[in-house]
Amino acid sequence: MLQSIVSYGLAVGAVYALIGITYNVMYSASRVFSFTAGMLGMLGGVLGALFIQKMGINAVLGFVMVLACGAVLGIVTELLTVRPVLKSIEQHLYVLSTLAFALMIQQVTAIEWGTEAQPFPVLLPIGEGWLDQKFWLPLLACAVTIGGLEFLYRYTLIGRAFLAIAEDNYAARALGLPETWLRIASFALAGMIGTLAGFTGAQMLLAFFGNQSILNFYGFVPVALGGMGSNRGAVIGGLALGLFQQAANFLVGGIFAAVAVFAVFIVVLLLRPEGIAGASTARRV
Amino acid sequence: MRIRRRQVLSGSAAGAVSLASGLAAPAIAANEPIKIGYLPALTGPSSSTGVGINRGVQLAVEDINNAGGVNGRKLELIVRDTQSDPTKAVNAVSELTQRQKVSMIFGPVNSGEALAATPLIARDKVPMLHPCWVDELIDVKKYPMAFRQAPTNSQIGGGANHYVVDVLKLKKVAVISDTTGYGTASVNTYVPMLKAKGADVVYTNHIDAANPDLKPEMLRMQSAGAQVIMPWSVNAGFLSRILNTRGAMNWDVPVVGQTTLGSGQTKALLEKPEYWNKVYSNNFRKCCYVDGKLPPLTAEYVERLKKAKIEFADTLLWWVALGWDGVRLMADVFKNGGTKAEEIVGYMNKVKDWPGVYGTVTWTPQQHNGFPDSEVVMCEVNSLKDGAFNLAPGYAS
Repeated sequence: MLQSIVSYGLAVGAVYALIGITYNVMYSASRVFSFTAGMLGMLGGVLGALFIQKMGINAVLGFVMVLACGAVLGIVTELLTVRPVLKSIEQHLYVLSTLAFALMIQQVTAIEWGTEAQPFPVLLPIGEGWLDQKFWLPLLACAVTIGGLEFLYRYTLIGRAFLAIAEDNYAARALGLPETWLRIASFALAGMIGTLAGFTGAQMLLAFFGNQSILNFYGFVPVALGGMGSNRGAVIGGLALGLFQQAANFLVGGIFAAVAVFAVFIVVLLLRPEGIAGASTARRV
Repeated sequence: MRIRRRQVLSGSAAGAVSLASGLAAPAIAANEPIKIGYLPALTGPSSSTGVGINRGVQLAVEDINNAGGVNGRKLELIVRDTQSDPTKAVNAVSELTQRQKVSMIFGPVNSGEALAATPLIARDKVPMLHPCWVDELIDVKKYPMAFRQAPTNSQIGGGANHYVVDVLKLKKVAVISDTTGYGTASVNTYVPMLKAKGADVVYTNHIDAANPDLKPEMLRMQSAGAQVIMPWSVNAGFLSRILNTRGAMNWDVPVVGQTTLGSGQTKALLEKPEYWNKVYSNNFRKCCYVDGKLPPLTAEYVERLKKAKIEFADTLLWWVALGWDGVRLMADVFKNGGTKAEEIVGYMNKVKDWPGVYGTVTWTPQQHNGFPDSEVVMCEVNSLKDGAFNLAPGYAS
């Protein structure tokens, strides 16, 4: 029982964490909460199965193609659904525009790919149990992503530019940073992380158009738990969510497992509204 | 009252037209095609059934028309693709009943669309033939012109329950479903039926189909002493996870349930092919192999399908046969009863043991569900050949 809780819990949690990071990367660059994160996760699995399983493309090339598609979708998201509503961000029109775009893509996927879940290939068959790709691949992807982002933000100029616009985009623009291009690059990066989440988790979650809504929601929970914009918080929140969800499956089972997750989510937000790793906002009085 | 010259003239003209059309009318009626409204879901998310049924429908119409039609009149299908969308089905009904003035409507072939369309077809007083299973579609008081050639959901559940309790002689049953309306309604309906048959339902639950790990549920069923698992879901991902987990646990327990258990989508998601062993899904006696052979009428039909180059790779025999039977049944009704609504209903109320490829149909004025319980059976899902399966073990042939 413990092995099942830990293996599935960490693997699903890593996928949630990656979707949470996707939300964060888009949010940091634009202050927009883009509900296309789940769509990117869903497409990571579907496109991976399409390229590798159905079209027979080499796995490495297929993986690169999936990430490229994610980057393109990220850019399209920025152009079509974020940029037009940035001027009136206080009206929160991005909720509608990003959600509508995500639903359109989901419907197209349902029509073209089908509404039934389809298998995702085993790419690295090195063993069973813990060695099964479905358990370690999402964790590896999560570790590489968080390590890569830390390196990018701390040790590269472009990474610091990302941080600058995340911190204060007016000041960053005043200093001459190309805010628009940095935002486009952030959305492309988010697109790649989102599809990476779906690709690495697809053997477990299957290539299924319905994963979009699940990933949209369960990917949002670590962001809320960990604090908006905090990638480390998203990783801790995602892994904790996965473990708790799996433990609830064993302890209460059925639909009550989902109820237990929501109950804890609400309690945590009541106790700490800014999230576990988020800083409380100073309010001018 | 004053009569004007214009009124006299227009009256004369109308009289002349009506005289002319009155004389010509019988000749036109005798030759004009019999219109059948047909509401399949040929596109959209739930279209695989409709696509299969459509192959049988089109072939039957072609065969009947090539043989001279019905009493010298051709059948004309007025097809409106519902696109798996109840709204589109509802819109199509108005067109078929009011503009096209069809003699009869076949479909919609999906439950959701049928539930939305049936009250409207009944309102417009057009006879209808249902190929889908939702119990509520047939009610002789509310919908006196609606007839069903297929089993009801209750019969489907009853067939599975009969197989578990009476054929396999297993008493301790785990009944689970996903959280969809279909899944929860099935469990709520079938569990009392199982208990009434003397089964001990040791575990029952509604499970989130998106849950990637069903081991906790399976362990609970195992520790409750379940001898058989009955999952009610049309979600291939959910069903394949049950079978994969059962295989990984080396738990040699039969799985008995809905037709999706035997679908190609479920098979594609299995981690090992042997995980499909000891899995039995609903099917229909006339479309199943017994000792490697189909019943004579069905075997003859399969030859006809092969001659017409009907594909089986992506469909099932019973879907195609259902469409074929529907059209042939309506043609018999038109031939022997007539094409007016009251003639159609009057004849259908007296149909007895109509020999279809999909099933035998009997209707009475009090019962418009025409499919016999005895023809709802279970099949071995790992025996698929030419769109049909072997009858599950244990039935008397």
